[in-house]
Amino acid sequence: MNAEIEDGNLVALTLRGNAEAFATLVERYDRAVYHLAYRTLHDVEEARDATQEAFFKAFRSLRTFKPGSKFSTWIFAIAYHACCDRLNRRKRYASEELPERADPAPGPEQQAIALDQAARLRAAIDALPEKYRTVITLFHLQGKQYDEIASVLGLPMGTVKTHLFRAKEQLRRLLGEMEVTES
Amino acid sequence: MNMDEHDALDQALFALPLEEAPAGLRASILLATAYRPSPAFSFLELAALGALGAIAIWLSVLLALGGGTLFVHTLETIGTFASRALSSTATLAWLAAGGATALWLSLFTGSQPLVVAPHRSGRRAGR
Repeated sequence: MNAEIEDGNLVALTLRGNAEAFATLVERYDRAVYHLAYRTLHDVEEARDATQEAFFKAFRSLRTFKPGSKFSTWIFAIAYHACCDRLNRRKRYASEELPERADPAPGPEQQAIALDQAARLRAAIDALPEKYRTVITLFHLQGKQYDEIASVLGLPMGTVKTHLFRAKEQLRRLLGEMEVTES
Repeated sequence: MNMDEHDALDQALFALPLEEAPAGLRASILLATAYRPSPAFSFLELAALGALGAIAIWLSVLLALGGGTLFVHTLETIGTFASRALSSTATLAWLAAGGATALWLSLFTGSQPLVVAPHRSGRRAGR
C-alpha cells in the first residue's frame, strides 16, 4: 500500500472492504500504540494485549471515526482507555500502589549506572507518577500538539499544559539526581 | 547534553526511540482484524447442519431406546407427514414463495462490503 496515502483515505478504503488499507494503518501505528501502552502499563504482556485490543476496537468502530480528524489521536485515545481499564482492574484487585504493580525493575538511581542517555531518560520517565508519565509519553509521540494530547486524555488543554510543565520539572530533577549519583 | 535547558529536554524526548514491539504483535493484530479468516460455514449452513445433527441424534436415541419398532414407526410417521405436506398445493406454494424470497434477499446481501458496527470505545475516543 502506498505510503503517501493519508490515514483518512486508508480508513475510507478499509470501510469499502480493502483489508490492505487497514494493514497499512496497523503498520504505521502499532509501534507507537505499543509504546504508549508499555509506558503506561509497564508490563510487556499487558501492553501487548492493550495494543491488540485497541486495534481490534478501532477496526470494529471504524465507522465512528470522524473524517478530518487524526487517526493517530483516535487510536491513541482508544489505547489509552484500554490501558486505563487495565490500571483500574489492577487497583481493584491489588492494594499496592501502581508503581509496585509494574514489572519488577531497579529504581532510577540504580538503572542510571552504566546506562546511556536514552535509557536514563526512560528510567526517569518511568519514575514519574502515572498522570505525568502518560502526558510525557504522548508529548513524545504527538509533539507539541497540546489539543491532540488533551483529546486523547479527555482533559482540558490547560490541565495538559500544567501536567506537562510539572512532568518536565520532575524529569529535570530526576535526571539531575541521576547525574549526581553517576558522578 | 545539558538537561537543565528546556529545549534540550524536549529534544531528548523527541529523540527517544520507541519501544520495540514484541515479535508477532503486528501479525496477531492483523489476524484479529483485517486478515481475519472467514468462517468455514455461514450462519445458515451451520443452522442446517445443526438441525440435521439433531435429527440424527434423535433417531439414534429412538433406535437405542425402543429398538427397531419405534424407529421404523417414527420414520413412517415422518414420511407420512412429509408426503402429505408435499402433496398439498398450498404448502408447496408457501415453500416456493419462501425460497424465492430467500433467493431475492441473498442477491442484495450476498456480496456486501465490510460492515463495522459502532462501538462504545469509538464514541469515547471521538469525544
